[in-house]
Amino acid sequence: MKIPFRYRSKHKEVPRKLPNSAMPNAPAPNDLTGALNPVLEVNEQRLKHIFNSSDLRFLTISVPGQSRVLLVYIDGLVDKDPLDQAIMQPLQAEMQPESGGQQNVSLGALLEVRLGAVAEVKRVQKLSDLVEGVLKGNAALLVDGENQAVLAGFQGTEQRTIEEPSAELSVRGPRDGFTEDVRTNTSLIRRRIRSEKLKIESLTLGELTKTDIVIAYMDGIAKESVLEEVRRRLRQIEIDGVLESGYIEEFIEDVPWSPFPQIQNTERPDVVCSSLLEGKVAILVDNTPFVLIAPMTFWSGLQAVEDYYERTIYTTGLRWIRFALMNVSLLLPSLFVALTTYHQQLIPTNLLISIAAAREGVPFPTVIETLLMEFMFEGLREAGIRLPKPIGSAISIVGALVIGQAAVQAGIVSASVVIIVATTGISSFAIPRYNLGTAFRLLRFPMLILAGILGLYGVIAGIFLILIHLLGLRSFGVPYLEPVSPSNFENLKDVWVRAPRWSMYRRPVLSNGGNSRRMSGGRRPGPKRGGGMG
Amino acid sequence: MNRIRRIVMGLIALPMLSLTAGCWDSAEVNELALELAWGMDAAKDDGVMISAQVILPFRIGSAMGSSGGGGNGSEKPYFVVSGSGKDTLDAVQQMQTKLSRQVYRAHRRIIVIGEELARRGLGHVLDTYSRDPNLKLRTDVFIVRGGTARDFLNVAYPLEDIPGIGALKEYDQIGGLKEMSLLNLMIAATRYGNCAALPVIAIGMGEAAQGEEANGASGQPGFRIAGIGIFNDDLQLQGFIDVRDGRWLRWVKGQLHKAVVTAHIPQEEGEISLDLINLGSKIHPIFEGDKIKIQVRLSGQGMIRENNTSLDLTRMHHIALAKEALDKQVEKSVYQTITKVQEKFGVDAFGFGEVIHRKYPSRWRFLKNDWSREFRKAEISVKADLKIRKIGVTGPPLHLKEQDIKK
Repeated sequence: MKIPFRYRSKHKEVPRKLPNSAMPNAPAPNDLTGALNPVLEVNEQRLKHIFNSSDLRFLTISVPGQSRVLLVYIDGLVDKDPLDQAIMQPLQAEMQPESGGQQNVSLGALLEVRLGAVAEVKRVQKLSDLVEGVLKGNAALLVDGENQAVLAGFQGTEQRTIEEPSAELSVRGPRDGFTEDVRTNTSLIRRRIRSEKLKIESLTLGELTKTDIVIAYMDGIAKESVLEEVRRRLRQIEIDGVLESGYIEEFIEDVPWSPFPQIQNTERPDVVCSSLLEGKVAILVDNTPFVLIAPMTFWSGLQAVEDYYERTIYTTGLRWIRFALMNVSLLLPSLFVALTTYHQQLIPTNLLISIAAAREGVPFPTVIETLLMEFMFEGLREAGIRLPKPIGSAISIVGALVIGQAAVQAGIVSASVVIIVATTGISSFAIPRYNLGTAFRLLRFPMLILAGILGLYGVIAGIFLILIHLLGLRSFGVPYLEPVSPSNFENLKDVWVRAPRWSMYRRPVLSNGGNSRRMSGGRRPGPKRGGGMG
Repeated sequence: MNRIRRIVMGLIALPMLSLTAGCWDSAEVNELALELAWGMDAAKDDGVMISAQVILPFRIGSAMGSSGGGGNGSEKPYFVVSGSGKDTLDAVQQMQTKLSRQVYRAHRRIIVIGEELARRGLGHVLDTYSRDPNLKLRTDVFIVRGGTARDFLNVAYPLEDIPGIGALKEYDQIGGLKEMSLLNLMIAATRYGNCAALPVIAIGMGEAAQGEEANGASGQPGFRIAGIGIFNDDLQLQGFIDVRDGRWLRWVKGQLHKAVVTAHIPQEEGEISLDLINLGSKIHPIFEGDKIKIQVRLSGQGMIRENNTSLDLTRMHHIALAKEALDKQVEKSVYQTITKVQEKFGVDAFGFGEVIHRKYPSRWRFLKNDWSREFRKAEISVKADLKIRKIGVTGPPLHLKEQDIKK
C-alpha cells in the first residue's frame, strides 16, 4: 500500500529511519527500533513486551519437515475463518517445499506466494513495521530462522452492515449509507462510478490512532488547485488521534470562527458521487460514516438529495419553500420583536390588535419573552436529541403542554410569541443540511438582541453583517456564495431552481478543472418533431 | 493579543451603545393606547376639543377567542376619551392626563369633524395631520351632520367591533374611494379651482327621508353615510347635499368606483336598474366669447340587475331602449346636482376650475380671482354614455306570462 504523505513528527518520537540493520543483541524490551531476530522465541518475547496486551494471540505451528512458524495477530481484528483455511490447514498439512528446484526457496517466500492469492501480503523486516502491521489487523507470520515476517491482510472486524443513513432520509433514492469501515465506503463509491478516472489516495493520520484517511476525486474533473490545497492542508495536520471526520474538518476549514460550515458532510454515497462528478473532493475517514466534501458552497447546504431524483418543477417549488423557511428561521423572531416594539405602524391594524390582546398582562418585554422562549425551545430540542427513545416522547408532551399551553394560560408568555417560536423551530428543520441549519439557529440570538436594541435598523444591520461575512467566505478557494456572487448564469440553474438534468449539461465552473461538460447539449426529451403522429 | 483585546472592547462597546442612545423609542404594544378613530370638535374660545376612540384589545381578543361568552352589549371593546386646548397638540396633552398609555396615532383610520367646527372652518386645525410622520395622508375624513365628533365616536355599531372602521366600510360600500379624503381635502384646499367636499356621516340608522335633515338617533344605534358637505375656499362648511347628489358629485370628480342607476322607461311603465362599475368622467370646458360652457361626459359599464318592465332584454333594440333611458336619467340627475350646487352654494365643488386651469392656463389667470362668480354663471351640459355589458341570467322577467312579454 503506497502512502503518499505520512504524518511527520517534529519530535521524532518514532524515527522513520532505523539506525542500522545490524541490531544489538539485547535490545530494550519496548524498543521498536531494529530488525527482526531470526530466533523465533526472541521475537515472541519482544512482541509480548511491546504489546503487553491480552488480546494479542501467538500461535506456534510446526511445519512438518520444516521449521516452526509463529502466527501473531490481534484477536478481533482478524477474520479467523479464512485465516484458518489459508494458513493453518496448509501449513500443517501440505506446505512442504516440493522436492526439486524449489529447495532453496525459504518458507517465508513460499508463504508470501501462497497467501498472495487470497490476501494482501507484505514482507517486513523491521520490528516497527511488524507492530504496525499487526495493529492494522494483519496476521503476521514469522518463520524460525528467517529475519523477516510475512504480513497477511486477513482483516475482519465486527462491523455494522450497510444501513439506511439515519441523518439524511429521503423518500426516493438509494437506501444505502456509509458504514464505519473506510474500505466498505470506498467500495460503495466505486460501485457507483466505474471509471478508472476515480482516484483514491490514502494516507494515515493520528499519531496514536493511525487512522486511514482516503481522498477521492475524479481525475480530470476535479480542479488541480483545489486538490492540491486539500492535500496540503491534510499534510499539515498533526494530532494524536482522529476519531471522526469532524477532527479533520476543523483542521482544514478556511475560517474556523465562522458560524457557517465550509465543508459539507454526508452519510450518503450518492451525494458523494454526485459531488465527485461535479469536481469536488471527498475525504473519507475510517471509523466514521460521515464523509467530508470540499469545497462547499452556501447553496449546497440548501440542496437536498431528493432534489435530483424528483421531478424538476416540484423540486423547484420545494427549493423556494426551503429558501423562504431559511429566512424565516433566521429572521422571524427578530422581525417580530422589531415590529412590535418599534414599528407598530407596519403591522396591519387587526393583527396588531390581536397581538396587543395576547400581550395584555404579560410581565416581560417582548425581547425578553422571545429570548426566553427561543432558549426553552433550543433546550427542548437539545434535551430531546439524547434521550432514550421511550422517554423521548415525554419531552415533546412536556414541551407542548407545559410551555405551549400552560405558560400562555398563566399569562407568562403571549400566544403570539409561542406561535413565532414554534414557526421558527419548524422552519429550521426545513434546512436540509443539519450543520447549515445550526448556523441559522445560532445567529438567531444575536439578531434577536439587535432587534431588541435597535429595531428594524438592528435587523438590517445584522443582515448586512452576515452578508458581508458570507461574501468574504471561501471554501478551498471557491467563494461561498458562488454562483450567486460572483454570478454565473450556467450554475444558477441549480440554485434558485433545479433545472432539468438535460439542461444542466455543464459542471459547476469554479470547482472543476477543465472538463466542464457533463453531456452534449440539446438532449431535451419530447416526441419526434415534424414527423406528425407515428 | 491585540485581536482579542479588540474583540473584548467591541463586546463592551456594544451594550454601551444602547445605553448612550438615551431616549429609547421602544414601546410594547400593551403600553400603547391604539386609537383607530379620531374626532375634532369646536371648543370654547376658538379652541379645539379632540376625542379618541381607544381600543381595548383584550375585549376584542376575548370576543374573538372564547366561545360565545365574550362581550355583551355593555362591554364595548373601546372607549372614548377627550381633551380640549388651544390647538390639537395642546388638547392631546390634556387628553393624555386621562390615559395610562401613550396615544398611538399611526393606526388611525378615520378622522371625524363635528359640524360646528366644520362651519367655523378647518384652516386652523389641519396642520398637525400632515406634519406628524406617524400619520398617513390616506385617512378618511368625515363631517358629523348635526352632531359632535365626540357623540359620533361614542355610538356603537352592530357590525364592527370598532365603530370607526364601520364608517369607513360603509363609505366603501356605497362606492366612495376609501382612504383618500384627507389627501383630497389637502389637494382641494391648495387649489383655486376646486373646493373641498367631504363625506358626511350622521348618527342613527333610521330610514331617513329624501333630502333629510338631521333626525338624531332614531331606531337602532349606529350611523349612516348622509351625503357630502361642501366647503368654500376658506375651508368653511357651507352646507350639505344628500347621498344621491353626493354620488353624482363624486362621479363627476372621478371619485366613485361603483353606482346603481335606476331609470323609468316611459313606454313600458316600469323601472330598470343598472349596476355600474368602471365609472369615468371627462370635463370639457368650452369658451364661447365671454361665456363658459362646461360639458361633462360620463361613462360607465355594468350589468342590469333589475328589470320591472315587460321588455325581453335579449333583444338588442330593447337594450338600446334601456340604455337611452338610463343615459337620460343620469344626465338629468347629474345636471340637477350641478345646478343645485351652483345655485345653493356657489362654490365649485366639482373641480371645473381645476380643469380650466390645466387646459387653458392663460385664460385661467383672469378667471382665477373671480372663479366663484364665473362658476355660478357657467352653462352646464351633461352627456352620459353607459354600456350595458350583461343582462343577468334571464331576458324578460321570469314571472311574466308568455303573451305579456314584449319581444
